[in-house]
Amino acid sequence: MSETTTHPQLVRWTPLAQAALQAPGAFYLLAIMGAFLTLWTPGFFTAANLTNVALQVAVLTIVALGMTLAILTEGIDLSLGPVLGLCGVGAALMIVAGYPLPLAIATAVMIGAGFGLLNGTLIAIAGMPPFIVTLGSFGIAQSIATVLTQGDSVVNLPVYFRWFNDGTFLAIPVPIWATFAAFAVTWVLLYWTKFGRYVFAIGGNRQALILTGTRVKLYHISVYVYAGVLAALASFIMTARMNAAHPTIGVGLEFDAIAAVILGGTSFEKGRGGIAGTVVGALAVGVLRNGLNLVGIGTEWQVAIVGIVIITAVGLDSLRRLNA
Amino acid sequence: MDRRSFLKTSLAATSSLAATGALPEIAGAQAGKPATLAFFIKNVTNPFWKACRIGAEKAGKELGVSIETVAPTKPDNIEEQTRLVEDWLVKRPDAFVFVPVDYKALVPSIQKVNRASIPVIGYVNRMTDVELVTYVGSDDETLQYELCKYLFKATNGTGKIVHIDGVPAAITAQNRKKGCERAVKETPGIEVLASQPGNYRRLPAVQVFENLMQRFPAIDAVVCANDDMAVGIAEALIAAGRGGRTRVVGIDGIPDATAAIAAGKMFATADFSGHDQAYLAVTAAVRHLRNQPVPKDVTLPVVIIDKSNVQTFMKTPEERAAPSWDKAIGQKV
Amino acid sequence: MSAEAARLAARIVRLPSDRLFVIVSRLVALALLITALSILSPYFLTWGNFINVMRQASLQFIVAAGLTIVVLTGGIDLAVGAILGLAACLSASLISQGYLGSGIASALLCGLACGMANGVLVSYGRIPAFIATYGMLWIAHGLGYVFMKGEVIHGLPDGFRFIGAGFVWGIPVPVLIAAALLVILHGLLHATVLGRAIYAIGGNSTAARLSGMPVERRVLAVYALSGLLSGLAALVVIARINAADSSLGEDLLLPAIAAVCLGGTSLFGGVGGIAGTAIGSVILALTVNGLNLLGVQTFWQNAVIGAIILASVLADQLGGARLIRQQQTVP
Repeated sequence: MSETTTHPQLVRWTPLAQAALQAPGAFYLLAIMGAFLTLWTPGFFTAANLTNVALQVAVLTIVALGMTLAILTEGIDLSLGPVLGLCGVGAALMIVAGYPLPLAIATAVMIGAGFGLLNGTLIAIAGMPPFIVTLGSFGIAQSIATVLTQGDSVVNLPVYFRWFNDGTFLAIPVPIWATFAAFAVTWVLLYWTKFGRYVFAIGGNRQALILTGTRVKLYHISVYVYAGVLAALASFIMTARMNAAHPTIGVGLEFDAIAAVILGGTSFEKGRGGIAGTVVGALAVGVLRNGLNLVGIGTEWQVAIVGIVIITAVGLDSLRRLNA
Repeated sequence: MDRRSFLKTSLAATSSLAATGALPEIAGAQAGKPATLAFFIKNVTNPFWKACRIGAEKAGKELGVSIETVAPTKPDNIEEQTRLVEDWLVKRPDAFVFVPVDYKALVPSIQKVNRASIPVIGYVNRMTDVELVTYVGSDDETLQYELCKYLFKATNGTGKIVHIDGVPAAITAQNRKKGCERAVKETPGIEVLASQPGNYRRLPAVQVFENLMQRFPAIDAVVCANDDMAVGIAEALIAAGRGGRTRVVGIDGIPDATAAIAAGKMFATADFSGHDQAYLAVTAAVRHLRNQPVPKDVTLPVVIIDKSNVQTFMKTPEERAAPSWDKAIGQKV
Repeated sequence: MSAEAARLAARIVRLPSDRLFVIVSRLVALALLITALSILSPYFLTWGNFINVMRQASLQFIVAAGLTIVVLTGGIDLAVGAILGLAACLSASLISQGYLGSGIASALLCGLACGMANGVLVSYGRIPAFIATYGMLWIAHGLGYVFMKGEVIHGLPDGFRFIGAGFVWGIPVPVLIAAALLVILHGLLHATVLGRAIYAIGGNSTAARLSGMPVERRVLAVYALSGLLSGLAALVVIARINAADSSLGEDLLLPAIAAVCLGGTSLFGGVGGIAGTAIGSVILALTVNGLNLLGVQTFWQNAVIGAIILASVLADQLGGARLIRQQQTVP
């Protein structure tokens, strides 16, 4: 039982120094990039730019939170991007057709939860590999969204919808509040509830769980449902940002989310990791992209650099873990 | 006064005039530093945008402004272009020369640029609900309409055609499709067998068309929303031994297409010169910054390229002559 | 199918019975698909259409072949499409200028180099395959953009185009290449040391390492092979469409993964094979072909493919599990 007592995620209020030493690559990446950009580019460390970056990664962070849970259970959810797109399209179509906002929101949440249910059931009950299941639902969600809009964007949304992105509360933009809220809820779920303990156990010690006969499968499914719901909520911010819902808007987001999660120190195996790292990972990705633009690196090189940075950050991490 | 001293005197006079600032200066540019224009393209993979870049840089060099090309790393990615606009707003260039990857989704971002009082010149894809100093472009609908009418004339007003669309959400594709539909409606002898998207890319279009070829043993003409798809389809027809019986038209006038037309593989295309549109857009931007008059719309004329005139269009964008501003604003469709 | 019959059949074909179930079920699905399409569309059962489908399937297969081998070791290669794109750009640029030999070599070398880089990162760098190949995907795309600078290369010599657009005895050359690849790789997997190592590593990499197998070297070889095959696929693709641009390969990844999964190769590793991927590629190509012939909007394609993937893997889970349980109940 020594594994559980020293398992990182059970030590909630780690002293700062110990946390820094154990910090995943994303922290160092963020710190180094931040320092470099502040010195090199005048525009980086300004309120306007930093707010921009925070807003830009809001959607990614929220989706990545759900993805973290999936990866903690040794799973993955490739469908979150298209599901986000479908939720956005669904809600937008309903609003444009005249249905009230709460109904549209509820519909989007149902769509996200529905796909989560589909994914979770096939993974937890039928025992299918998560990669395949969510790849399949990726295609299905993608198609449905495209067919509903015939490939076009949904526009003419009422002005009040812009609040999801442009609105502020106590001078802080709504998307940032949303990110805080999603983080807080996920934190509580993960570290203060039975659900959270099972999430770590499903990833780290699934055989033991099955032997104790608990309702593992239900919690396992809930992970994917939760991820789907988070994607639905993120879709509102995305739609408001574009003032339009587009079926392919989320495509590629799931890979960025996975990168953010892994950069943040969560491992694909054995249920190691946490959501604090994910937020830093998402910020790191955002700052990287923002920095490349501000410094003025050509698009072609930006593409290659992103790949190099991701590999380097994760690589250094795994080397550290080997030597630890 | 002999010629040499005349030249010297006029040179001295001009430079002293410039030094006093009597010559038109670019508003907003710091003394001695050229103005910077943020020049947006949709991706770095389609040669059409490379032609645009060449045209823009040509204009930039001639007019003494610096052109910074901005493109998303994931081609045509909406979310990324939004981020690029926001990031560039922080850098405050003197003007945005902009084409949206989605003409609806990028509206809020450009509205932010409007609020920051940075002039925006639109080109290639029209946007509504934003303030544009001017829009430079070809009229996609008219382009496709005229091209189809030309094609239908060659087939004596009858025939079965297949339409290969571009990216369905793109406004160019939507307008070109409308133009084709208008021409078809006016020509009762034409029957549209199928309309499928090829997404403006060669391999997907070829695969879609090869399957359509199986379904329809007799196709008289193929109307493609761009040349990249048209050339691929023309070659697929030849590979299937059906080259002589089907006429293929595209739009853009890329080198591959002009070569195909000259070789008789393709029937016709329309000049949709990214080079010219970008050049004129940059010119408009610079004129605006210099407080010179700029019309609200600059529409390029419809030019159909077929075997008869293809030779003149076989130049690369680098070799292509810069379009004349005065001639362009004189053209009103 | 009773347990005894299954075991008998398995012994004849020399495959484990759950593997046999996979292959048989796919062939049955294939037969049903062909029958259905023949009834629904008069153009389906024509020679021209058959050629079409086989050619598309073989292109799919060549891309998915390398991926299959990587997946068998329990890994994944997300960069197959991007490596193909980069190799295509490099080789097209050389071949269009007349350097046929170095053009072909450049595609294969480029693929090999990228594959080896992946292998080093995964086996020696201990970076999760997902991340390593995802990063490589970006790097390969980026290098492709830098190299092409937004250009398109057209016009390859007819002699070279033969491997993509030519026919031998009425059969498209890509189909022959794919068939040859199938035979070679099947032999590799079942009759060589590397092949046995691949299955061992996929089944239980810890046990493999404890038994003295040089796991790192084998995994490196596997990724290198996958890259090499991407390079080969690049040559066939550019020969077929007679052009290359930096966006090539972008949408080849997901169909490749679909073909591998359809073929019954498990993403956990250790289960599956190249024959399955071949059948999977054919099923995929048939499905797309059928949808086009029936006039279904292309928008629905992803949903159909996604549903097929889910159905096939679900069937594997349920069918394979049932057979195994039946075996276990017999004393």
